[in-house]
Amino acid sequence: MSKNVYTKIKIVLPVMAAALLVLIIVTTAFGSVNVPLRQTLGIILKNLGFASIQIDSRLESIIFYIRLPRVIVAAIVGAALSVSGTVMQGMFRNPMADPGILGVSSGAGLGAVTAIALGITSKSMFFLPLFAAVGALIASFLIFMLSVRNGKVPVMNLILSGIAVSMFLSAVTTTILKFISGNQVKRFIFWSVGSLNDKTWESVEIIIFPVLICTVMLVLLAKELNVMLLGEEEAQSVGLNSSRMRKIMLILSSVSTAAAVSVSGTISFVGLIVPHILRLIVGPDHRILLPASAIGGAFFLLACDFVGIMMPREINVGIVTSLLGAPYFLYLLNKARSNAGNLR
Amino acid sequence: MLKSNNPVLSVKDLDYKVLENQILKGLSFEVQAGEFIGLIGPNGAGKTTLLKCLNGIYKAGGQIVLEKENIRGLSARDIAKKAALMHQNITINFPFSALDIVLMGRYPYLDRVRGESKRDYELARKYMEYTGTDNLENRPINRMSGGERQRVMFAKTLAQETELILLDEPTASLDIAYEEQIFKISKELCGKGRTVIAAVHDLKIASRYCSRLILMKEGEIIADGPVDVVLNSQNLSKSYGVNALVYRNRVTGMLDFHIHESLHPQKETRIHIIGGGGSASGVIRYLFELGYQLSAGVFAYGDSDLNCAQVYGIGRIACMPFSEIDNKSHKENIRMVKNADAVVLCNMPFGRQNIRNLEAASFAKKLIIIEDEGAVGRDYTDGEATEKYNSLRENSIVVTYARLHEVL
Repeated sequence: MSKNVYTKIKIVLPVMAAALLVLIIVTTAFGSVNVPLRQTLGIILKNLGFASIQIDSRLESIIFYIRLPRVIVAAIVGAALSVSGTVMQGMFRNPMADPGILGVSSGAGLGAVTAIALGITSKSMFFLPLFAAVGALIASFLIFMLSVRNGKVPVMNLILSGIAVSMFLSAVTTTILKFISGNQVKRFIFWSVGSLNDKTWESVEIIIFPVLICTVMLVLLAKELNVMLLGEEEAQSVGLNSSRMRKIMLILSSVSTAAAVSVSGTISFVGLIVPHILRLIVGPDHRILLPASAIGGAFFLLACDFVGIMMPREINVGIVTSLLGAPYFLYLLNKARSNAGNLR
Repeated sequence: MLKSNNPVLSVKDLDYKVLENQILKGLSFEVQAGEFIGLIGPNGAGKTTLLKCLNGIYKAGGQIVLEKENIRGLSARDIAKKAALMHQNITINFPFSALDIVLMGRYPYLDRVRGESKRDYELARKYMEYTGTDNLENRPINRMSGGERQRVMFAKTLAQETELILLDEPTASLDIAYEEQIFKISKELCGKGRTVIAAVHDLKIASRYCSRLILMKEGEIIADGPVDVVLNSQNLSKSYGVNALVYRNRVTGMLDFHIHESLHPQKETRIHIIGGGGSASGVIRYLFELGYQLSAGVFAYGDSDLNCAQVYGIGRIACMPFSEIDNKSHKENIRMVKNADAVVLCNMPFGRQNIRNLEAASFAKKLIIIEDEGAVGRDYTDGEATEKYNSLRENSIVVTYARLHEVL
């Protein structure tokens, strides 16, 4: 496996990247109005300054200002969630872990409902994601601080305080929902099921840098993540300061996930399914698994969103991932049971 | 132990506590290159904790100097180049191949950007071959048996190429064949100047391979030294709280142990046992465990019964083999018989050499004869012994060995 990990990287990643590019163009081209693929590519290239052609300006605005930002956001969010999922599973040596452990969703939910309740969402479209991101980070930080023991973060502590904090924050969110108007509640629910509707280039600007920076840094820590699979103490015996590394990884994943969730709302199961499928395809070595998860996550979420759009009535992407994810999760659990607890 | 001026490891006043619990209490010892140290002691003695302190996973008080450098000033990576620890019970849920795992032992030597070099692969393969895991190279670690995984982890530990190798119960889930293998390899490495400290619970294997033992109990070192100095009944009962008999196994020539629980309180009753040719050993063990005050004789040197009496530390009389019992031994035997509340005559063979034992038995206050087989078949004196035996039989209790408990 490891003898050809670099060769594998050279083959697998370009293929995946090419597939992602094709999907981006296809999903941009199709929708309520179908634009020929050639023309779609032309519009994208033109607006990026690579070509100059004459195109119907109505089509141009549909493709470049409505569809493309949504597609890009889907790709970035998918990549962020699935890289964080891969990191969580590796770091906690538990194939069932996902970014939800960090309490990001519940924190973002509280942040979002706060912004809606304060009525500031109409003043600027930045407020909702900003509040959601801040809420997500505060929740992660809280869970993290509650789980630290002697400078280490034991897995069990993290999971249990994660559950407790998430429950608490959700309860606060529900309480706030009782006091706000029906319209505001609707708005919140629309946000919370995870949607990529109405995403603009501003949304892309909000998330691209935090996600990109965190993802690149996590990919650079792939070797360390491999060693951490041995366990915290075992990793330390081969010279990795694992408690410090664990903190760094926790921070990077929460920032990246918080950014993603702040614009997309809660999207579950991406961080669980994508790493699992890719581990089956490219193996467990994080040097290939992490970049593959980034591309694969982008691909997966984009595809799910496309499925949602193509339905007779548009379905939120968060619902599509759950519809696909929940059965797959049950299948995994079942397999784990029949496999004496050894998940692949 | 040779004391040289630069020990591989020097530990001084090592303290470690968790919350208010003092786990390790002021341990001090030095380890020279080439030593193979067995860390022994009951569960909870602090063996694992000590090993983890030695490579800095647990931050302990006191001083730990590894190859002249205090580990407090060293990074995890620096320590990993000096000491490798093989942990107990590692589980890995992800399908890394054995080779991948062994290569992780090379992690402290990798630089930030580049992957493993050709040399890292060579070393990994070399140690896999050395530990007989080369055939597992591409097998996923999560699909291996406990024993296979353990051996792969051993190869990984060796691939770290450190002066000091720390092993925590390295043979916990291994078949006996592989158990021996890990110790053999460790001993071989020590012969080449590397140093091994292993927490071992199997005292027999520790005594066979280690050059030195450190016996711990409740966070303290109770004994430290060569194997036969550390392993004795007193030390074992002090640390494990059991009555242990330490003896050299006559079949294998190795140290062996007999652990017995003393369920029965010591009794006042004195019993003298007459036997020989192996007939008395079972009787001695049985009566010893019941708590009687025992003596035994007369045995010829070299008789396994004499060895048994020695192991149990009871009063015994021995004389030269292949010759008649001498007067001095005979008198001593009669004294012990008279002194005893009861005498047990075992199901022993009679010959010219030991016929005086029958004579001594006649002085018994109460004589119990164990007879699993008639005297005639065991008589090598042309009837003289049978005659004496039968006259003894008239005034005594005769039982089979299996029913000895009924007449006590």
